[in-house]
Amino acid sequence: MSEKTTRRAVIRASLGAGLGLAGLSALFVAGGLKPKKEVTPETEPPKKGDLFVVADGPNKGKVITVDLLPLGGPFVLAWPMDPKTKVVKNGERNNLTMLIRFNPDDYDEKTRRYTDQGVAAFSAICTHLGCTVSEWLADKKAFMCPCHKGIYDPRHGAQVIGGPPPRPLPMLPVKVEGGKVVADGGFLSPVGPVGTLGVKGGWV
Amino acid sequence: MSAYEWLNERLDLDRLNKKFMRKAFPVHHSFFLGEITLFAFITLVLTGLFLTFNFEPSARIIKVAGRELPAAYASVLYIDSLPFGKVIRSVHHWSAHIMVAAAFLHLLRILLSGAYKKPREINWFLGLALLGVVVFTAFTGYSLPYDAFSVTATQIGYGIGASIPYIGEWIAQLIFGGEFPTLHSLPRLYSLHVLWLPLTLMALIGLHMLIMIKQKHTQPRYAKAVAPGKILGVPMMPMQVSVMALLFLLYLGVLFILGGSIIAHPIEAYGPPSTSTPAVKPDWYFLWIYGILQIIPNTWVIPLPGGAEINPEFIGGVLVPGILGLVAVILPFVDNRKTKMRYVELPSRHPMRTSVTVGILVFFLVATLAGWKQELGLSNATLWTMLITFPLLAWWVTYVIMRAIWGRGGYEDLEA
Repeated sequence: MSEKTTRRAVIRASLGAGLGLAGLSALFVAGGLKPKKEVTPETEPPKKGDLFVVADGPNKGKVITVDLLPLGGPFVLAWPMDPKTKVVKNGERNNLTMLIRFNPDDYDEKTRRYTDQGVAAFSAICTHLGCTVSEWLADKKAFMCPCHKGIYDPRHGAQVIGGPPPRPLPMLPVKVEGGKVVADGGFLSPVGPVGTLGVKGGWV
Repeated sequence: MSAYEWLNERLDLDRLNKKFMRKAFPVHHSFFLGEITLFAFITLVLTGLFLTFNFEPSARIIKVAGRELPAAYASVLYIDSLPFGKVIRSVHHWSAHIMVAAAFLHLLRILLSGAYKKPREINWFLGLALLGVVVFTAFTGYSLPYDAFSVTATQIGYGIGASIPYIGEWIAQLIFGGEFPTLHSLPRLYSLHVLWLPLTLMALIGLHMLIMIKQKHTQPRYAKAVAPGKILGVPMMPMQVSVMALLFLLYLGVLFILGGSIIAHPIEAYGPPSTSTPAVKPDWYFLWIYGILQIIPNTWVIPLPGGAEINPEFIGGVLVPGILGLVAVILPFVDNRKTKMRYVELPSRHPMRTSVTVGILVFFLVATLAGWKQELGLSNATLWTMLITFPLLAWWVTYVIMRAIWGRGGYEDLEA
């Protein structure tokens, strides 16, 4: 082996090693791009025992009681609230919940299990692309997402009866205690559009 | 001694002038479409610089004049209150629309005149990349005013990105700083919109123009009859530069009339983000995707191993545009030539290419129409039938008519 080729080989090897190491450490710094998710009392998901407060409109902030929900719709948009600390959990959009009241006999059997005195609660986040399901179709007695016109039937577990959403809106079991609507657990299925691997939240 | 002479002695400007500034520009009005795209970009950078001085990329709720508003929303209200603030914001907005439109028309010109063929394939790819980055840059600008409309539109974009099997959630969270909307979303989208994407655009535009100067324009066919084997056109200095300057000033003038008379994106009309979703329709260049998303039934789900799936959002928002982009990328490999192309091909002499282009344009139009599905009261079945038959019909009718008038075509290339 001549002197020239040896020198070249050494330079190449050190260049390669240097670039490799630089690349590896850059990857480590790039890890800082991974978003962090901080869970605060405002962003915690709803849990058993939570009350609900009206999210918007003239009654904003009022604790939801059965008589605040008109029989046969429309629905009322609400945030869950921790009953002890009185913290309204509106720091996480996925906590937005729709409360609605029908006669208990209007629900199918599967849906009725999670209702009490005709009150039912559903996630308000469209399972299609995550818009807020904010329209009420009075003639169909159904929820509609204005973004791509997905329609859900609340009396049948918020099944999709029109438009592109892939799944029904997740239900949240409720109880009525002293007239107030109380959560009897968290959402029964993942909220919003389902992530890459079928599990909401991905890598955070 | 004049300033020119002083500089010339030191920098040899005469040589630069002789070598570079005398470059001949072939003359054809459709050749200005690329320049208009560039003017739109320059206008966007200049008006954007002004906007960055006053914009606050934060979704934190602050108190302004007794109202609780996201800081970004409040800062856009502040920009609107400045002298000419509303006009400059509107010029920025309308210029973005014109940049997308001009870039697309520029692409159509290249497509219909066959200028993607050897030796200009690289610039065709760069042009496609530019169109993609331009549209993405426009999208990242959506979220910045942080009103009800822009938050909803960005939300949909997040959902489409996250729908890509396996890697979608990962990519979308990287771009949007977590599950949109979080407090970390706006700084990231802002950085992309004003820094990374414009820098990418500048680099790609620079390369695009460098290659264009090196390879020279395709020429209109009359150049062959007048001066065969030579580039026929006006010199860059002083003629082309004068025309460009005039066109740029005209562009600015028209944009300021437009921005001054039609205020873009009135954020107070949409209001700050709330729990009720505004009836949003995306900008015109996304309407065709919006239309397709509305008519894909929710039963189109293909499960993939590991719990992932190919769902309607992925099909409508990623797969269909992706396939069209892929077709554009492989076009120069499928339809090319052995010799270097010097003269533009006439659309009339290439009935197949021209008629297929017409078919694709009709596809865009019908898909856009599907965006008004609810308002028009059309059913999915009707819209699907239209979406499949109309483009095919347009292609076939155009082809038959062109063949009847101009014959088989294609022969001109043998002599080029």
